[in-house]
Amino acid sequence: QRSPPPPAPTQGSPCGSASAKDSVEWEGRSLLKALVKKSALRGEQVHVLGCEVSEEEFREGFDSNINSRLVYHDLFRDPLSWSKPGKALPGGPLEALRALDKRTVSGPATIALDSLSWLLHHLPCPTLCQTLHALSRQDSCPGDTPPGEQVRVLGLLHEELHGPGPLGALSSLAQTEVTLSGMMGQASAQILCRRPRQRPTHQTQWFSILPDFSLELQAEPPLESQPRSDPHTPSVDPTTHLTFNLHLSKKEREAKDSLTLPFQFSSEKQQALLRPGLGQATSHIFYEPDAYDDLDQEDPDDDLDV
Amino acid sequence: MAVAGTSGTGTRSTGSMVAAASTNNVTSFQRRGPRASGADSGCSRLVSIAGTRRSVRNGQLLVSTGLPALDQFLGGGLAVGTVLLIEEDKYNIYSPLLFNYFLAEGIVSGHALLVASAKEDPADILQKLPAPLIDHSYKKECDEDICGHKMESDIKMKIAWRYQLFPKMEGRPVLSSGFGHDYDISKRIPQELIETSKWHGFFLPEKISSTFNVESCSLTSGYMKLLQFIQNIIYEEGFDGSNPQKKQKNILRIGIQNLGSPLWGDDICCAENCDASHSLTKFLYILRALLRTSLSACIITVPTHLIQNKAVIARVTNLSDTVVGLESFIGSEKETNPLYKDYHGLIHIRQIPRLNNLIYDISDVKDLAFKLKKKLFTIEVRENFYV
Repeated sequence: QRSPPPPAPTQGSPCGSASAKDSVEWEGRSLLKALVKKSALRGEQVHVLGCEVSEEEFREGFDSNINSRLVYHDLFRDPLSWSKPGKALPGGPLEALRALDKRTVSGPATIALDSLSWLLHHLPCPTLCQTLHALSRQDSCPGDTPPGEQVRVLGLLHEELHGPGPLGALSSLAQTEVTLSGMMGQASAQILCRRPRQRPTHQTQWFSILPDFSLELQAEPPLESQPRSDPHTPSVDPTTHLTFNLHLSKKEREAKDSLTLPFQFSSEKQQALLRPGLGQATSHIFYEPDAYDDLDQEDPDDDLDV
Repeated sequence: MAVAGTSGTGTRSTGSMVAAASTNNVTSFQRRGPRASGADSGCSRLVSIAGTRRSVRNGQLLVSTGLPALDQFLGGGLAVGTVLLIEEDKYNIYSPLLFNYFLAEGIVSGHALLVASAKEDPADILQKLPAPLIDHSYKKECDEDICGHKMESDIKMKIAWRYQLFPKMEGRPVLSSGFGHDYDISKRIPQELIETSKWHGFFLPEKISSTFNVESCSLTSGYMKLLQFIQNIIYEEGFDGSNPQKKQKNILRIGIQNLGSPLWGDDICCAENCDASHSLTKFLYILRALLRTSLSACIITVPTHLIQNKAVIARVTNLSDTVVGLESFIGSEKETNPLYKDYHGLIHIRQIPRLNNLIYDISDVKDLAFKLKKKLFTIEVRENFYV
């Protein structure tokens, strides 16, 4: 499902598209309905493309105020357009999606797609991605419309029905991804928010949905029987388990410092080598006697009696 | 050489060798033609285009990728007529940076640009390019960044004392002027630079017709249109030498973003055994043919982490010339690993072309990492303390 994060927690609702993934254990339609209700209460137009459940079932639980704001495009009753003879076949879901594109022109609006999984089964994935991108892009030109006026696209995706390919493709398109899971009866949402040029942020939000589809955010429940991973995992120290010794004892350090190195010259020679004089006519010879040099000036050949 | 013995014990440069040789008349090799001025152009008969230089190894014409560090690891720059493929990182944060550097370098060097994207309007992409930095301000940034290391540089080196006076290198080579600039990614490129540049944009949702027909040929229609667009530009603007009376030669820099993603109509990211599996490979083949016959260089970013079929990734790599992969640490266990704590990700140079050459021009270093600082994107050799 693509849904913006519940507007309550941190920031105002971002624009663009968002998806929420649910699974068999934690169903997502009630979250979708809760978000739809929130948008409607905010005074926005809400368009719902219903494919998996009937209109009556979707509208159930909403009061008349919200129902009047909801514009329902029904694909559940007649997905293949059999009851309208003479209409060209290639319509169907794609036409319905593209019609949403042109209709929601004025003002801020929310488009809820129930569900993306159904659409993925009926349309080729690249086509669906392109259409969704066109939908979420239509008002998001920077500078044209203020951020509050943009179109938000929510989609419900059943994670278990698809392979990694379509899931990855849709995830890369979504600005926000909400994965539903939970623990011990409490539902939680892992929210991954991708801003265009910034690092993605992860957030986990526990929530529950009341019978009238209001969204109630909750703090994290105390964990009782679940073993908790240590919050301060000790940082890995690479110097452990080495087969060689990396540290020096004090005596070793002293011995190391007092060692004479082979190319360590006197400081005058070092300076002369570091800064060679320009245009030196003669070259200098620096001689530093080694420890083993014999400085005897006598010519040893003098001892030969030749 | 005995010849040089007469020229004194001072510096022995090739200039003095030649001078000595010609005065003694030992060799009969003469330099033909007037001596060309300027360090960039070698022989006077070869073309000299702004923003390019010749490779020192084999004379291949190179353009800068916009990042001097990346140029160094690619053997001096990107060869004209080749494709640079960037394998995107998982959340697509760092590959747009490389893309933008390439385009910004094109604008600053005065090259023509062709930007193609299915996600963003090319005009918007151009607005977000980084601003070029003048040399001395870059050095100031550099110094600010390394002021934390000042303590270490003051300590006199005991063993390597001959290197005391050398500046602390950041892996950045000395550049000749006009090739490779530095950019500040926290600032946008000034509007007048964009307006004076010549650019062409290809935005797929505008070009594709609203009726989705099933493609009969094996190239998806988006790719077909893009190839036709590129071919038209190359022909009309004379990058393939077809209009010789035209003004001075210039390079066309082509940038294609997110190639292979579903937004281009390609389904290699969606399924493992897809119908149009040869679409992307055909596209690359034809694109490379277009590039080889014209004065252009191309950068492509591909979301290879989404491609389901490994064989397709291998084919795409083989069909490109230079391939650079980005691996960011976000979301992986390497993010908390102390070995990688200074960096934001790794760069893998997966392939370097062998153009008119018997050997590859690879640098010895294989372990590269990148870091995104506030103002610039640096590539460094990863210092491995515990090999």
